[in-house]
Amino acid sequence: MREFIQFTLGGISFGMVYAAIALSLVLIWRGTRILNYSQGAMAMFTTYIAFTVIGHTGSYWAGFAAALAAGLVLGALIERTVIRPVENKPPLNAVVITIGLLVFLEGLAGIIYGGQYRSFPAAFSITGLRAGSLALGISRNDVFVACAVLAAALGLAVLFRYTSAGLRLRAAAFNAYAARLLGVRVGRVLTLGWALAGLIGALAGVLVSPDTFLYPASMDSIFVLGFTAAVIGGLDSPVGAVVGGLILGVALNYVGGYLGSNLVPIFGLAALIVILMFRPSGLFAASTSRQV
Amino acid sequence: MADQALLAVEDVVAGYGGVLALRGVSLSVRPATITAVLGANGAGKTTLLTTISGFIRPRQGRITLAGADLTRRRPEEIARAGLAHVPEGQGVITELTVEENLRLGALWRHGSAGRSEALADACQRFPLLAAALNRSAGTLSGGERQILVIARALMARPRVLLLDEPSLGLAPKIVAQIMSLIRRLRDENGLAVLLVEQNARSALNIADRGVVLNLGRVVAAEDAPVLAADVGLRKHYLGF
Repeated sequence: MREFIQFTLGGISFGMVYAAIALSLVLIWRGTRILNYSQGAMAMFTTYIAFTVIGHTGSYWAGFAAALAAGLVLGALIERTVIRPVENKPPLNAVVITIGLLVFLEGLAGIIYGGQYRSFPAAFSITGLRAGSLALGISRNDVFVACAVLAAALGLAVLFRYTSAGLRLRAAAFNAYAARLLGVRVGRVLTLGWALAGLIGALAGVLVSPDTFLYPASMDSIFVLGFTAAVIGGLDSPVGAVVGGLILGVALNYVGGYLGSNLVPIFGLAALIVILMFRPSGLFAASTSRQV
Repeated sequence: MADQALLAVEDVVAGYGGVLALRGVSLSVRPATITAVLGANGAGKTTLLTTISGFIRPRQGRITLAGADLTRRRPEEIARAGLAHVPEGQGVITELTVEENLRLGALWRHGSAGRSEALADACQRFPLLAAALNRSAGTLSGGERQILVIARALMARPRVLLLDEPSLGLAPKIVAQIMSLIRRLRDENGLAVLLVEQNARSALNIADRGVVLNLGRVVAAEDAPVLAADVGLRKHYLGF
């Protein structure tokens, strides 16, 4: 029982990181119907930027802020330059482009920073918390991770529901044709969508890098699991992304805890295969059909 | 000044891939008038509106609004120039509520005060929508959706309204309401309306001018009463 609690709580932290990646993927998928294979690599790159800023200033939070800002800029930049030309082309073009971007970013990071594993600081203490004599399996930093991603998800929800920018984002995603007729500059809206996705991805990067260490390929497996979480939740559903992330994070922690940590990657991929085989539209698939 | 054409289409040639749907169409629409565009299926009526609103680029010709050249502009920029296009099949965004659909229409034009005012105007003019503001737009009936898209197009106070078959699939009573609404928009708001209709009879009833298209060309452009009285023309192109 005690182990169960520890494994459950311990899975939440990683689960929220998967949820963040999943959220970024869902944002881009809903807006542009593109699966951004470079989402993890973008997050790795912005984490390197944080790493550099922390190195120069000695301040974690300066690095944190720099990563988020870089995420916004990188997302917008990528959409405007590299993605815009393939938005209305066959889907394969976007696949090739985003995979190419992934290779490019990882190569660039390698050139600039080298391939060695860097240690990246955590925001708060990583000592395990206790409730009385019970070791809970999570640390203060884990709580921060969960809260940060939750805050980002809620922030997005508020943005979408209550602001004009959010209304434009939704309209452009649901029916770009009708949105254009109403004067919505769909191009700019999509840039904003990618910028937000870059922001959330950057958040995931700084939150997980203390655990994974920072190196050019450090976000690869996180990306795969984030993608799995997005598929579990349903690529169209932001709520599904968060729930999918949590389910996956906790489930994988059970696997690691009860069965052994070397089985975790296998189970992650197995989960992806199972979902794609039996419920490819995800748990929270939208019931209304999408207008083409 | 009011006599000048507000919207002018000059010798426009346009089509899809290898098929030319418009083969040199010219027409003009004055402020506070209704111009009906009539003709059989495939005559080019919808292509005409789609080209004016910027989704199809003309291969030749010019389109101007109050003198400003719209010919190669993007659809969203043309909408922001004051031209509202209500396409066939309505374009209601069913995943949004009625209020969100309306607000979307007002976004580019107004600040937040203006948006609330425009929404209040829409509610006053269309009590049907006022009662349904928080409902998902997908729950509206065909006639209600038609009212919604017209109201939504009006939120930005356009100068020109392009309507593509607003009566399609609707009961005669609703069609009458919509036609009467269009007439009021011309009379009360001074709107210039370009109305594409298969239902030539209803259209000519409210129109000031009529333009008949056939196979991508204009075969007649007259004042509406003249067109309606021309039995030969009516039988040949309009079916009544």
